[in-house]
Amino acid sequence: MGIIDLEGLEVRLGNRTVLNGLTGALQGHVIGLLGPNGAGKSTLINTLLGFHRPSRGSAHVFGLDTHRDRAQIRAGIGYMPENDSFIGNMSGVRFVRYMAELAGLPAGKALERAHEALFFVGLGEVRYRQVSTYSLGMKQLIKLAQALAHGPKLLILDEPTNGLDPIARQRMIQLIKDIRKEGSVRLLISSHLLPDIDETCDEVLILKNGRIAALRNIEEERRSNRSFMELETVGATEQFSVRIRGLGCECACFPGGRIKLVIPDHVEARDLYVIASEQGVQIRRMNQRRDSLEDIFLRAMDQEWAGPAHVSL
Amino acid sequence: MSVYKHNYRGYDGKLTPGWARIFVLTRYGYAEAWSSKITVGIFILGLLPCIVFLFAIYLANNPMARLLLGNHAPRILAINAGFFLDLLQVQAGPALVLAAWLAPRLITFDLADDALPILLSHPISRFGYVFGKWVALSASLSLVTWIPALVLFAYQGYSSPQPWAAANLPIAVGLIAGALIWIAFLSLLGLALSSWVKWRVVATGVIFAAILVPAGVGGVMGAVLRTKWGLLLNVPFMMSVLWQRLLGVPGFASSEASLPTAGISAMLMLACLLCVAMLYARIRAREVVRG
Amino acid sequence: MKDQIIFENVSKFYGEVLGVNRISLAIPSGVTALVGPNGSGKTTLLNLMTGLVQPSSGHISVLGLSPGSATEFFSNVGYCTQFDSFPRGITGWQFIFDSLMLHGMSKAEAARLTRESLERVQLGDAANRRIAGYSKGMRQKTRLAQAIAHHPRVLVLDEPLNGLDPMARAESIALFEELGRQGMHLLISSHILDEVDRISDRVVLITGGYLIAEGNIHQVRQEVREKPMQVFIRCDHPEVLASKMFAINHCVEARLHADGGGLLLRTGDIDQFYSALNAIAAEGLVKIEAVAPADDDANAIYQYLIGSDGSAL
Repeated sequence: MGIIDLEGLEVRLGNRTVLNGLTGALQGHVIGLLGPNGAGKSTLINTLLGFHRPSRGSAHVFGLDTHRDRAQIRAGIGYMPENDSFIGNMSGVRFVRYMAELAGLPAGKALERAHEALFFVGLGEVRYRQVSTYSLGMKQLIKLAQALAHGPKLLILDEPTNGLDPIARQRMIQLIKDIRKEGSVRLLISSHLLPDIDETCDEVLILKNGRIAALRNIEEERRSNRSFMELETVGATEQFSVRIRGLGCECACFPGGRIKLVIPDHVEARDLYVIASEQGVQIRRMNQRRDSLEDIFLRAMDQEWAGPAHVSL
Repeated sequence: MSVYKHNYRGYDGKLTPGWARIFVLTRYGYAEAWSSKITVGIFILGLLPCIVFLFAIYLANNPMARLLLGNHAPRILAINAGFFLDLLQVQAGPALVLAAWLAPRLITFDLADDALPILLSHPISRFGYVFGKWVALSASLSLVTWIPALVLFAYQGYSSPQPWAAANLPIAVGLIAGALIWIAFLSLLGLALSSWVKWRVVATGVIFAAILVPAGVGGVMGAVLRTKWGLLLNVPFMMSVLWQRLLGVPGFASSEASLPTAGISAMLMLACLLCVAMLYARIRAREVVRG
Repeated sequence: MKDQIIFENVSKFYGEVLGVNRISLAIPSGVTALVGPNGSGKTTLLNLMTGLVQPSSGHISVLGLSPGSATEFFSNVGYCTQFDSFPRGITGWQFIFDSLMLHGMSKAEAARLTRESLERVQLGDAANRRIAGYSKGMRQKTRLAQAIAHHPRVLVLDEPLNGLDPMARAESIALFEELGRQGMHLLISSHILDEVDRISDRVVLITGGYLIAEGNIHQVRQEVREKPMQVFIRCDHPEVLASKMFAINHCVEARLHADGGGLLLRTGDIDQFYSALNAIAAEGLVKIEAVAPADDDANAIYQYLIGSDGSAL
C-alpha cells in the first residue's frame, strides 16, 4: 500500500476519456509526474483532490477513497496550482491564515503557522502587503506557503518553478529539498523540466495518452552502475580515440572533442588518463552515464524523433 | 547560548470539527464586508427610518402627544400590525442596497484571481462555500431588518401602558419570518449574480436591476394584457403581499390585484432554483472548456 | 551593417520608469540567448527590437531596416511574446491565417503558409479547435507558429519553451538550431539556463535595465577574472588529490564536496590544471570517476554577474 493507489482509474470529462485505466502504487517520498501535454496529468491531480469523480475504478490517497472521503483527504493535502490563484485584496498573512483555518487549524495556531510558513518560504518582508502587489516569484511562493501552513501529509505542486528566473528557481528547488529532508510530508511534483524532477524526486510516474507509460524508482536507477562514459577532450582527439580502441573500448567521436565510449571490465579510468598524458590530450569532462531521467522519459514515450522537417527560408 | 534554526515543521495538533470550516468562511466574509466604510455608511443610513419609527412609538405611548394630536391620534399613532408592516416595507429598501453592495464584495474577490482551486482544495465543499458566504450576507442584512424591528417591538412592549407584547406576539413572529424570507432570497440572488459578473460595480447594478426590471416588465404586461399575473414578476409587490399575510394585516389591495400565496411561493422558489443553478455553474474548481 | 541587429546607445523610459538604459549591441546571425531576472528590461528590449515601442533615445537598425518602413520591417521580423492572450472565440488556424493576411498575401498563399507552420510546430490536428480549449503548451505552439509563419529573417522569442513538455522542448530547440544554421537571426529569452547552454553559444545578459555582458559564453566566463575557473572532480581519495594539486599547480582553492566523494577545485590556469590532472591520474594514486567544469556555463555567468537580488554585482 503506497501513498497513492490507483486501481483501474478511469476518468471521463465531457465525452472524452482522459484517464484510461491507471493502475499502480506510488510509494516514493517525492514523486515526479511527467508526461506530454494532454496526457492527463492535471486530470489526475484534480481527481486526487476530489474535483473529478472516477467513472470507473478508484484512486486512494493514504488509504482513503478520493471521491467518498474527499473532505478528509483535502484536510491532509496542500495544493499549489499551476496558475495564479490568490485573493488579491488580502495581505499575505491574512491569506495564508485564512487557508490554514479552512484546513482545520484553530485560529491562534493558524496565525502562528502562517507567519512560520511565510518566513520559511522567504516572504517575511512582504507579508503585510496585499497579495495583488506581489511579483510573479512572490505569488508562486505564497501559493507554496498556503499549501504548507497547515502541515499537510501530501504536498501537490503543479509546475512550481513556472516563470521563475534562475535564482528564484534554485531557491524553490532548495525549499523543496528542505521540505523533503524534514520528512513528515510526501510530495507529488508535476513539471515539464526534467532537471527539476531529476534533482528532487526519487520516483517518477510518466503518463501518456491517459495511461501509465512508466513508473520507476529513479533513486535505485541512480545507484546502479553502467559502463558507458562520456568524455570531452581538448587536443589530438582522433589519435586518442584510436588508442582507446586499442585498449578494447568501443568509442564514437563527435564534434567539439566529445567522445562516447563503452568501457569493458578490464579497463579503468586510469588507463585512459595514461594515454591522455602520453598524447598531451586534456580530458576536460568525464562522466559515467547511467540511465538518466531523459532516457527513461524517451523510452517511455517510445519515440525516436529526428530533427524537424527541412525548413526553407 | 544556543543557535535556533527555523525550518519547516509538520503539524500534529488538534483540528477543528468539519462544520466549523463553514463558519471560518462566514467570519472572514463578514470581516471583509464590514471593513469598508461604505458598508458602515449604508448601515447607518438604513437605520435612520427606524429612528423615526422609534419616535412614533414614543409619541404613541406618550399622553401629552396624544392630547396634542387630538382626534387624529388613533389613526396616526396606532401601533399595530399595520405599523410593523410599514416598518418592514421601509426597511426592505436598505436591505436591498446593502445586499447589492455586499454580495459582490463577498464573491468577486475570490473569483477575480482564480482563488477557487485553492479554496476548494480545502475540506470545504462547494455547497459549504456558498452556504458560509450566504450566512455572512444574511447576518449583515439581519442588522437592518428584523433585529431593529424586534428592538422596536420590545420597546413598544416596554413603553405601552397596557400589557401589549404578549397579545401581539404573532406580529413578532410574522416580522421575523417575513424578514427572513426577504433576506434569504436577497442573499441568494446577490451571491448568484455576483458570481457571474466580473466587476463589482456592475454586479451591484445588476442586482438592483434584477429586482426592479422584472417589476417594470410585469407592470407593462399587466397593463397591456389586463391581467394581474404580471405582478408575479414584481418581487417587491409579492413580498408586500406576503408580509401582509404573515402579519395578519387586512388586505389593502383590491381582489383583482391580489395574488394567491401559492403563486408567490412558487415564483420565489423558481427564482431561488435559478440562483442555485447559476452558482452551481460558476463555483467550481475547474472549468471544462468544450470544443 | 546589413546583416546584424544593431542597437546604438538605446534608452527607453516609460515616464519616470526605466525600461533600458544606454544599451549598445550588435547581434549577428545564428542563435543568441537573452538572459536576465524578471523585470530586468528583457521584454522592453524585445519590444524595441520588433518595433513595438520606439526608443526614447538612441538608434536601432534591424538588418538595415528601421521600424519607420513598417511593411518591409514587419514582414522580416517575427515575434513570439510571452503573454498568453488571444482574441476570443477563434481557432488556432484562424489566428495564424488572419495574421498572415495582414501581410497582404493572397488567401491561397496564407492558407498554405498556415498549414506549413502548423506542421512545423506539430499542431496540425488541433488547429481547428478553439484556442480557449487548448492546453498551455498548445497555446505556446500556436504563438510560435504565428511568429515563423511568414518566414521572417529575424525571429524574436520571449520564453518560447514555457509550458512545453520535454519532447516538445527538445523539438523546439532543434527547430531553433536549424533556423539559426540557415542564417536567421534568432534572439531567445529564457530562464532555463541549461537549455540556454544547449541552444546557443552567444549570450546577452541584462539586469536592472543595463547590459551586463554580451558575447560567447566561454569568453564571457573567462573575462570574469575575479572568479578563477572551477572544476568538479569525483574521486575516491579527494584529500590526496587536493594535496597533490596544491603541490604542483596554481590551485587557489580546494573544497571537499558535502558528500565526501568529490573535490571542487579553483585554478588560475586551466590548461596547466588539466595537464597536471592527467599526470596525477596516470600515477594511479587516485581513481577518477568523473570530471566536470563547474562553472563554464550560463548558470555560472548568471550567478557571478547578477546577484541573488537581481542587481548587478
